[in-house]
Parts: sequence; structure tokens; C-alpha cells
Amino acid sequence: MTDERLRMSGIVKRFPGTVALDGVELTVRAGEVHCLLGENGAGKSTLMKILAGSYRPDEGTILLDGEPFSPSTPHAGLAAGIAVIYQELDLLPDLTVAQNLLLGRSPRFGPFVRRARRAGLARQALDRVGARFPVTTRVRDLPIAAQQLTAIAKALTADARVIVMDEPSATLGESELEAVFGVIRSLTEEGRSVIFISHRLDEVKAIGDRATVLRDGRTAGVYDVASTTPDEIVAAMIGEAKELVRPAGRPAPEGEPLLTVERVHVPGLIDVRDIDVRPGEVVGLAGLGGAGRTTLLRALFGDLKAHVTARLDGRPFRAGSPAAAVRAGLALVPESRKEQGLMLGLSVGRNAAIAALDRPPWLLPGRLGRRLAAPALAGLGVRSVGQSQLVGQLSGGNQQKVVLAKWITRGGIKVLLLDEPTRGLDVGAKADLYRQVRDLAGQGVAVLLASSELNELTANADRIQVLYEGRNIARFDPRVSPESAIAHAVITGATP
Amino acid sequence: MTTSIGSSVAASAEQAGGARPRRGADLIVKSNLLLVFLALCVVATLLAPQFLTGRNIANLLQQSSLTGIVAIGMTMVVLTAGIDLSVGSVAAFGGMTVAILMAAGVPVLPAILLSVLAGAVFGAIMGGLSAYLALPAFMTTLAGLTAIRGLTYLLTDGKPAEAAGAESFQLLGGGFIGYVPIVGIIFVVITILAAVVLRGTTFGEYVYAVGSNKEAARLSGLPVRGVITTVFAVSGALAALAGVLLTSRLTVGQPTAFNGLELDAIAAVVLGGTNLFGGRGGVFGTFVAVLLLSVLRNLCNLLGLGSFFQMVVTGLILLVALVLNMLIERRGARA
Repeated sequence: MTDERLRMSGIVKRFPGTVALDGVELTVRAGEVHCLLGENGAGKSTLMKILAGSYRPDEGTILLDGEPFSPSTPHAGLAAGIAVIYQELDLLPDLTVAQNLLLGRSPRFGPFVRRARRAGLARQALDRVGARFPVTTRVRDLPIAAQQLTAIAKALTADARVIVMDEPSATLGESELEAVFGVIRSLTEEGRSVIFISHRLDEVKAIGDRATVLRDGRTAGVYDVASTTPDEIVAAMIGEAKELVRPAGRPAPEGEPLLTVERVHVPGLIDVRDIDVRPGEVVGLAGLGGAGRTTLLRALFGDLKAHVTARLDGRPFRAGSPAAAVRAGLALVPESRKEQGLMLGLSVGRNAAIAALDRPPWLLPGRLGRRLAAPALAGLGVRSVGQSQLVGQLSGGNQQKVVLAKWITRGGIKVLLLDEPTRGLDVGAKADLYRQVRDLAGQGVAVLLASSELNELTANADRIQVLYEGRNIARFDPRVSPESAIAHAVITGATP
Repeated sequence: MTTSIGSSVAASAEQAGGARPRRGADLIVKSNLLLVFLALCVVATLLAPQFLTGRNIANLLQQSSLTGIVAIGMTMVVLTAGIDLSVGSVAAFGGMTVAILMAAGVPVLPAILLSVLAGAVFGAIMGGLSAYLALPAFMTTLAGLTAIRGLTYLLTDGKPAEAAGAESFQLLGGGFIGYVPIVGIIFVVITILAAVVLRGTTFGEYVYAVGSNKEAARLSGLPVRGVITTVFAVSGALAALAGVLLTSRLTVGQPTAFNGLELDAIAAVVLGGTNLFGGRGGVFGTFVAVLLLSVLRNLCNLLGLGSFFQMVVTGLILLVALVLNMLIERRGARA
């Protein structure tokens, strides 16, 4: 087991404005399950994309079975025996299992597909992962675990030496996960290496041989899983340095809550209870991907079917649609500004004014909108070539400000819902955006802020609610709770 | 605070210069069409001396106006990223109902209004199904195309309906003021009204917003479904109006009328520079495109080229216009 399968050393990857990887080391032995751990943004995905050939590293070397290896395309990575199973399975849902497994490589007789032979090859591939379902099933009709097995079987048809699994557990139930683990064990027995990315430490304990922890683009430690406690790994993931960052002393807002959420229940997704937000208060929502932060915000905004028991301004409140939520004084800055926040083909001014036109005189929306939107755009410091520039041509930070300007222009906001508002923004733009959010809070707006970046929450929220698997399991005051305690709750789901 | 205001002042000072590439491209696309149109008119005058006669122009306007009225409604639908395939059938239905109503003794104005209203209701049903049940408009209006045509035949068992009627009614579709046909005036008025609605009202702004990004429009609290239902209702109403005008000119309702009208209307919308995926374009482009297509047809007629030849030429012109628009847009985007 000392056989070295893969060695990535000194890997550096820079993106404009940020260093994603800053000298990462990763060594994987033949026949081991190597877990890759780290908080959101630690660099796990970037590292795996470099391994797969989707990105080229700026510095560093990769050795695969002792040979230098520098894949320039995902195809080259696959040919060399690197198979990556992404979280969003890249299967074609309307084709059968057999069609998917041999996509582009079906056995042929002249122009005709040899169906029987294809089915036979597919059957062999499924048998290897212990899957029992027929190869003629359409992928769409399979349960998620079976789809996952299909993806694994597909990865194996390429005779992979290293198999990367990106959070396979995120979509799997308990028993399904056990089936996938069984496959992983039999793969390693054949001498293949598995790199297993997961947020959940209990899974790492159950399946992993060794673990590499990434933090802020560097390797924070390599651990032998059997002889390490979860607390040691969590400590490595969180780090020590961030402890010193504390928000400037703000008086905690007092008074009656503006928004009181008794319960938000979306069957099968979330069941959140007792969150309230006072005027001028920023309540942070922390949690892993899939913990239910986005679902909670969408439910409050009337964007999905949910049982909501809440009070706004002391009156019972339940929005049946986003339009109703907006009328009631809610505003949402959605997760994806390009797909959900903005009309990229329209100008800055038209985007900023669009929510403010639902009142008399109903005329001259262009001129009226420009006049209405000007103060908000100027106040937020949106850098554009005038209001008529297309919003799609702006930088990410300025685009996000236009989304905010849309609500400020509308006016009368009581509750502002922010979903990952700083995703993809550089440091300066983040600080700028949070300053604007605090300004709004200062004017009496109640803010619910969902973010994967814990340090942003501790720096900007007055209180933090931790969501874990659809429930809010703990609440913290970032002024007194150490960030490590919050991170511990976020990652493990354990209440302090 | 002062710095941010300062920068925005500077920004608006730059506005004129910076926005020019994009506007320039738009202008070229628009005037491109206008230039082609004018060039075609010159060519037509040279080739066929009888082109530039009052009678011919009047004829031309009268023939293109009905398609044009429908194309204006189609433009609004396409701006929301929808499509309305049912306009031909709705127009035929409108033409039949107005004839039948008048034959039954209903006065002219109520008969017209009821027919147009029927078109609006058809449109609202198809658009509403598409908006509220998230069905593709292509399918709901394709179903409408078939069903409403069938309904039109059922009205009289497929026979034409005599519009026993007042002279005032016949003037509407067939009358002239000087050389100008009344339907031409109606077409121009509707184009201007549509432009005012699209550019000058909140509803028009919503049309562009919905077409540009439906999801963002919804999450901004806009009544997306209402907007979609409304544009289909407008399209249906204008189609029915075109049917009424045809019946008025022919003094008889033809259940077989307007076969394939949807394709002519969509061709004009696209040739006029409105993006089939919504959010960009307008009715003036459609207006010019309608005239262009009908001048082309007229020219072929004057030169004695058969209708088969016309179809080929029309198709080719459409292709060339699309490629040109695409090339100009790309250059605009790169600039």
C-alpha cells in the first residue's frame, strides 16, 4: 500500500484578482480512498479540475504512477485514467443506461449500432459496480443512487486509475450511500485509487484511509483517518488565524421583531423554526451547500410551495408569489445574479427601475425610470457608462449593485433577503456591497443574509443561525462566539 | 458619498461616447432595413414604370396592411419570447363572425367589437395556458391554429358567409381617402399605438423585461403571467381585426382565408429585427419589413414573375437579412 499513484506538488492556480491554489500538495497511494476536505472556497474543486485537465496550473507538477502528467483537456485526463464523477451527474436523462454508458463508443456494424453487443458491454459495466437494474432503463426513471452507480460504471468503462467523486453523498440516502461505499471498497481492492470529496466527517471516518485538508488554497494537513479525531480535522479546516477578525462594536438592534418566522416547512427539504429579525438587524444564515438556506429564502419570498407561518410588522404574513412578497415589502437578491437577478440584455437604468414602475402614472417608463433610478445608482456608486449601458457588460460587483439598486429604487423595503450576495466578487467589491447592506439596515431594514463564507457572516451579521440538513440547529452571537464554534456546528451539525 | 456622486456625474458625461458603438450597431441594423427598402423601391421604379403610380402604391398598401396589422401583434408576442401560430385561424374566425353577426341583424359597430373581442379571448386562452401551465406557446397556439380553423368551418359548414351590410362597413376595408386606403391608415395608427405602448408605458417595459429574462422579471415582482396572457390577447384581437377588414373589403366572410398568415407575420417580425428569443426589437422594424416584403411581391407581379418565383425570392431575402443582422450584431458586441 505504499505504492504512490498520484503526486501533485506545488500546485498554484491564479484567477484574476485571486489566488485559488497557492502551493497545494496532494499524494494519493494506489488502492486507497483519499478524502479531500476543506471549507467552501478552500480550493478542492479547482484542484480536481486541474487533475482532470479542465484547468492548467500556473505552477507545479503532477506525477501519475511516477510519470510526469499534464493533461491539457478533460479528454486527455480521461485517456490517462483520471475519471471524475461530478456532483451534477453528466448523464443524459432521456437515454437508456446502455446508451449512456457507451455514449460515442457504441459497437457498430457499418452505420448500425450493434444493440445486443452494446447491452452486453453495459451489463458487464453495471455488474462490476454491483448494480442490478436493467441496462434498457431510461436514466430519468432511475432513483438517484442508481444514477450515481451508473455514473460510476461509466467512469469505469474508461479503465480509470484514479476516480474522483465530488460529494456523492449530497444526493444520497443512508442505504444508497452504503451501496456506493461497497463499490468504492471493491474498486480499491482492484488497486484503483479513489479521491473522495465530502463535507461530512462521519463519511470520511467510514470510508477514508487518509485525508488531505485544504484551507485557503494551501494544504493544511494530511491525516491518517483511523488515528485522527474529527475535532482535529475540523480544526485544520477552520484554522486559527480568523479568530482575530471581529466586527466593530455595533449596538445590537433592539425592539420588536419586524419579521417573525415561526415555521417554514417544505416537505422533504426544510423545516425551519423560530427565526426573527428586528429592524436594522442583519441575521446571518450559515450552512453547508444543500443545508436549505436558499430554500428558506425562496419560501419566504413566495417562490416555491411551502407552509409558512410568519408575521411581518405584527400581522400574519405568507407570500403566495414573488409579486405578493414584493408588495408586502420583501426584496430578494437571488443566488445567481445573471440568471435570476438581472435582464442582461437591457440597460442599467431599465434594470434598476423595473421594480418601481408598478404605480401611476404608468407612462414614460424610460424617462421616469432614469429619474427614479439615478439616486440609487449614484448612492451605490455603480460604475457604468451612463444608465444606457447594457448591464451584461458590467463587472460582477457592479451587476450586484444594480440588483440592489432595483430594490432601493422601488423603496419601501422592510425585509431584504440576500442569497450569496458576494459570490464571484473580489475583496473590494465584497466590502463595498456589505457597506451598502449595513447602510440599508441602518435605515431600519431587516436583513436575512445567507452566505457560505463564514467570515463574511461573522463580520457583518448581528446574529447567526446555523442550518444543517434543512433545520436551524443553533444560533450564535458573532460578538461572543468564536468562529471555530460556529464552523463546528456548520460542518458537523452538532449543537454546542 | 461625494466621490460616488462625482463618479456618476463623470459617468453620465461619458455616456454619449461610450454608448455609441451599441447604438451605432442598432442604427445600422435599423437603417439597413430602411436602406434596402428604399433601394428596392428605386429598382422597382426603374424596372417597372407602373410601380410608382398612385393606383399601384394604393393597391400595395391595401394588400400589405392586413398582414401588417397581424405582424404588429406578433411583434409584441415575440418580444416576450413567445410565438403565436394561431393568427391565421383567428383572423378567419373574426372575418366569419362579423359577417354572420351582421347578417343576423347586429349593427356594424357591435358586430366588429364582438368579433375582435372573440379574437382577444382566443388569444388570452392560448397565452394563459402557456403562461399559467408553463406550456410552450408554440404548442398551445398550434393547437389553436387547428381547432379555431375547424371552428371557423363549423360556423357555416365551410360555406362563405355573405356580409349583408351597410356601406360604411364596406368602406372600412375597401375605402380610400384620395389614394390612401383606409386599412393603410388603420395599419399606421396601430403601429404608432403599439410603439407608444411598448416604449411609453409600464406595460411595454414589462414586455421587454419578460422577454429578456423571465425568471429575473418574476423575482422582481413583475406580473409575468399577466403580461404574457395580455400580449397573446392583443395578438388575437389584431388578427380578428384583420379578418374583419378582409370581410369588409370582399363583402363576404371566407372560412378559408388567411391560410399561412402566421408565417408571413413571423417573417416580417424577424426581418424587422425583433429577436425571436425576446427582449429586443420593436414595431417600426416590423412596419418597414411588411412594406418591404410587399414591394418585393408587387415587383415580381409587375415583372410578370409567377408566384412560385416570388416565394423563392422572399425566402432568400429573409435569409440574407438574417445573416446580415447576425453579422452586424456580432461586430456591435465585439466593439
